Amino acid sequence: MIGPSIVIKGEVTGEEDLLIQGRVEGKINLNGNQVSIGESGEVYADIKAKVIQINGKVTGDINGHEKVIISKSGNVHGNIIAPRVTLEDGAMFKGSIDMDPAEAGAGRTPAAAQPSAPQLKASGLDLKSV
Amino acid sequence: MPKITTQTSKLLPYLFQHLDAEQTVTVFHVGSALPETVDFFSNYRCKLYFIDVFSALPIVSDEEAGSTPAQQFQELLHVPADTVFDVCLFWDLFNFLDAESIKALLAVLHPHLRKGSLAHAFSVHNRNAPQQNNFYGIQQIDALSVRGRQTPPPCYAPHSQRELTAVLDGFHVERSVLLPDSRLELLLLKL
Repeated sequence: MIGPSIVIKGEVTGEEDLLIQGRVEGKINLNGNQVSIGESGEVYADIKAKVIQINGKVTGDINGHEKVIISKSGNVHGNIIAPRVTLEDGAMFKGSIDMDPAEAGAGRTPAAAQPSAPQLKASGLDLKSV
Repeated sequence: MPKITTQTSKLLPYLFQHLDAEQTVTVFHVGSALPETVDFFSNYRCKLYFIDVFSALPIVSDEEAGSTPAQQFQELLHVPADTVFDVCLFWDLFNFLDAESIKALLAVLHPHLRKGSLAHAFSVHNRNAPQQNNFYGIQQIDALSVRGRQTPPPCYAPHSQRELTAVLDGFHVERSVLLPDSRLELLLLKL
């Protein structure tokens, strides 16, 4: 764990899960593990990890090989790449999200299996009352 | 916690009818990212750009600052040059922009659109339609989630259908559906 009073500038790497309650500036590479940013955590860094859970503040690009979760207290400004992204009610997010559910493995309904959309036939203004 | 309601949509399904599950769909979403929207798109191979233009309102010419709507949109829309949007979700933004600003937005978007890009928007059937202060999201393929805003966006001045159609450069109103409170739901097609 990186405690609330700790400030790290540079690259963080390793092979274990990490909880950040303090401040990190630079890069975080924990490709096979989980990174959690606690409510008091502030990260100004690009993050690569298997699972990334954000309860605090992150400015930077986020690459979650399995999943990214932005909790209700989370605030993210950056671009996210992950097979699955979950935004909880109250979470703040600014940026882009690049998702590919096929990479997340089984358990998701592919787009083609969703209720089918009607065919668009009419052209021009088609005013309908509902 | 703001109240969340569901609003059915007859036009939303058209946005997704041609999407290929094997191809990435690129979406331009005006406004805050809502949990249900992200969850909905997690079924797709997709790239979502959330750009909260509402928080930048009013977007108007500022002669003193020498700032035009086009410059303001350029600053807001930071997307890679090769990005092409398949779907644009404008929600009710056009009701809060004047004609010059709508044209400026579409001009800035133009390099990122292709023939056949689709867009969803809300307009009005009657310019006296009351202001709606909502965030919109996608609950499911034919239903929107609607959450009340705590602070109404400024500059509500909806356009008549004729006015709006005239400034939607490059977009054709493919279909429209009359909603309660003299509102319109629009499906736009890039020509």
